[in-house]
Amino acid sequence: MSWADATRLFRSFALRTALLTAAGVLGISAFGLGLGWLRSSAALQDVLDRTITAEADQLLREYRRAGPVGLARAVEARMRDTTPSAILVMLRAADGGRLAGAAALEVAPLPLRGFVTGTPTGIPTAGADGPLRLLGVPLPGGLTLIVAAEMRAVLDTAATLASTQLMTGVVAVAMALGFGLFTAWRLERRLRAISAAAADVMRGDLSRRLPLAGTTDEFDRLTATMNALLARVEALMQGLRQVTVDVAHDLRGPLSRLRQRLEAALAQPRDAPTDTATIEAALGELDAVLASFAALLRIAQLEAASPGAAPQPVVDLSALVTTLTEAYAVAAEEAGKALSADIVPGQTVRGDAGLLRQLLANLVDNALAHGGPGIRVTLRPGPILEVADNGPGVPPAEREAVLRRFYRLDRSRGTPGSGLGLAIVAAAARWHGATLHLADAAPGLRVTVDLSPAAS
Amino acid sequence: MRILVIEDDTATGDYIGKGLREAGHVVEVARTGKQGLLLAVAGPWDVIVADRMLPAPDGLAILRTLRASGIATPVLMLTALGEVERRVEGLDAGADDYLAKPFAFSELRARIAALARRPAVVAAEPTLLQVGDVQLDLLKRSVRRGDQPIELLPTELRLLEFMMRRPDQVLTKTMLLEGVWELNFDPSTNIVEVHVSRLRRKLAREGAPAPIHTIRGAGYVFGRIA
Repeated sequence: MSWADATRLFRSFALRTALLTAAGVLGISAFGLGLGWLRSSAALQDVLDRTITAEADQLLREYRRAGPVGLARAVEARMRDTTPSAILVMLRAADGGRLAGAAALEVAPLPLRGFVTGTPTGIPTAGADGPLRLLGVPLPGGLTLIVAAEMRAVLDTAATLASTQLMTGVVAVAMALGFGLFTAWRLERRLRAISAAAADVMRGDLSRRLPLAGTTDEFDRLTATMNALLARVEALMQGLRQVTVDVAHDLRGPLSRLRQRLEAALAQPRDAPTDTATIEAALGELDAVLASFAALLRIAQLEAASPGAAPQPVVDLSALVTTLTEAYAVAAEEAGKALSADIVPGQTVRGDAGLLRQLLANLVDNALAHGGPGIRVTLRPGPILEVADNGPGVPPAEREAVLRRFYRLDRSRGTPGSGLGLAIVAAAARWHGATLHLADAAPGLRVTVDLSPAAS
Repeated sequence: MRILVIEDDTATGDYIGKGLREAGHVVEVARTGKQGLLLAVAGPWDVIVADRMLPAPDGLAILRTLRASGIATPVLMLTALGEVERRVEGLDAGADDYLAKPFAFSELRARIAALARRPAVVAAEPTLLQVGDVQLDLLKRSVRRGDQPIELLPTELRLLEFMMRRPDQVLTKTMLLEGVWELNFDPSTNIVEVHVSRLRRKLAREGAPAPIHTIRGAGYVFGRIA
């Protein structure tokens, strides 16, 4: 692992969590193990005290039976019996002088009553090593019975216990830390795989997808979401590429023709009326090209965007269709055709009024330009919008293709038109979540736009 | 008229400035958004023409500042091709009209004229429109010329009403498509031409042709020729 890797690991979220856990473990260990040690030590101390008390009780029974003399004899006997021993006994006079028992206890504090922990100083006596636990029992006549025991055993045990607890704590913390590092490392590896794949994508390989570990855990879910995102990006990029290709390919034609026309005109001698006509015609062609550009941009925008989360305004579709068909009916009549409408009132839809107008206008434009003498616009509840003509129609094989940009039927080539009208209709319909359907009107073409909410 | 043009593209700014001056207007061309805003606020202007895409502050920001300062000067916004959605945004921000580049100069001229004519305060809604001897009863939705009633289809009446509300102004095809039928694009069917020719036919009287004139390369005028 390089230094860079190490520092990155240090800043890792997983590692910090692991350290936090280790700190928690440390805290709990310290508390629990410490408490355990204290209570164990206290218990050991307690056992020692009981032993001392039992010893004292035995001697006091002797005192009750045989008075101070009997006690002194018992004390001496006890000392003789148990040397070297952890138990020391002494009988002391009121003035502090030793009457019987261990000389080592002469230095015990005066007066002595109850339990006390003390250290004998200066007097090296066999069996008196380290701190002593002393019990002083006052007796009538100023006498004191002192029973003492070495604490060494207790202390040794307590020390052993402490070191065991400490080791346990250290091991626990070390394990927590180790586990944390391990988890961080595993996480790092998972994430690195994803990062590497993402880097590939950014270098331009849009078809790459991130690897799934197959564990269906949160990382896999995240990866799946990112893959969906990548798919969308790929689709958008493809769409964008398509537009660029379409523009380059299909607008080159009109612009080349325009150039030829202008070049030819330039070669002619200057003549104001002819030149004016040429310039006007050129402007007209340029306008057509610009209109194509605008349409292409519009289609691209519609394909790239969706209406968004905010609900679209409600559009009075019946009114919109009525106004537009009335306007087109007049134009149709002038062209020697008939446009009839069958519009159910009160139909509304959520969407963009401008887009819907463009959608309908393009369909009727198409019908007027390429359809037969009879055109019918229908608005049914749904709402479902239909434009049908009784012309030559579109062959079933080409019904999908006509929706593509610049696609023109063979028989339509040479007639005015950019080939973008139906592409806009398709994009506008999709934007609204509507379905578009081309069918045979027997004869002719029927285009159905289903704007009902269930259609999407 | 005093017209302020805010356009950072030198060629376009010169083109617009020159054209408007030739039409007899007093024109100032600002080359940056900042300069434009300063001049706009200093005023007074009859119309402001502003490019939407300017280096900060952009056209929309200038517009908002103007409206926030209570300046009600009509503003025509110039936008790049394919900015259809931005139209609503611009209109909401206070623009009075929108024109996409590239545009025909006659279109710009006609729209500026229309903006300048707009009354600052909306008068009470008239019930009768009269231009010359053509009368349009807005309540009854009926038309007469002189004492002769004229039968018009609803769609023809829409166009007539729009034109009669703007007498003696040049109305371009685009303005008519937008204003009468709310079509913000150019359909391939010649809706405007067809409606105008039918109106002419129906309004024509013996010795008195319909008061609809075609201004070549620009549009139509209802009433006297401007």
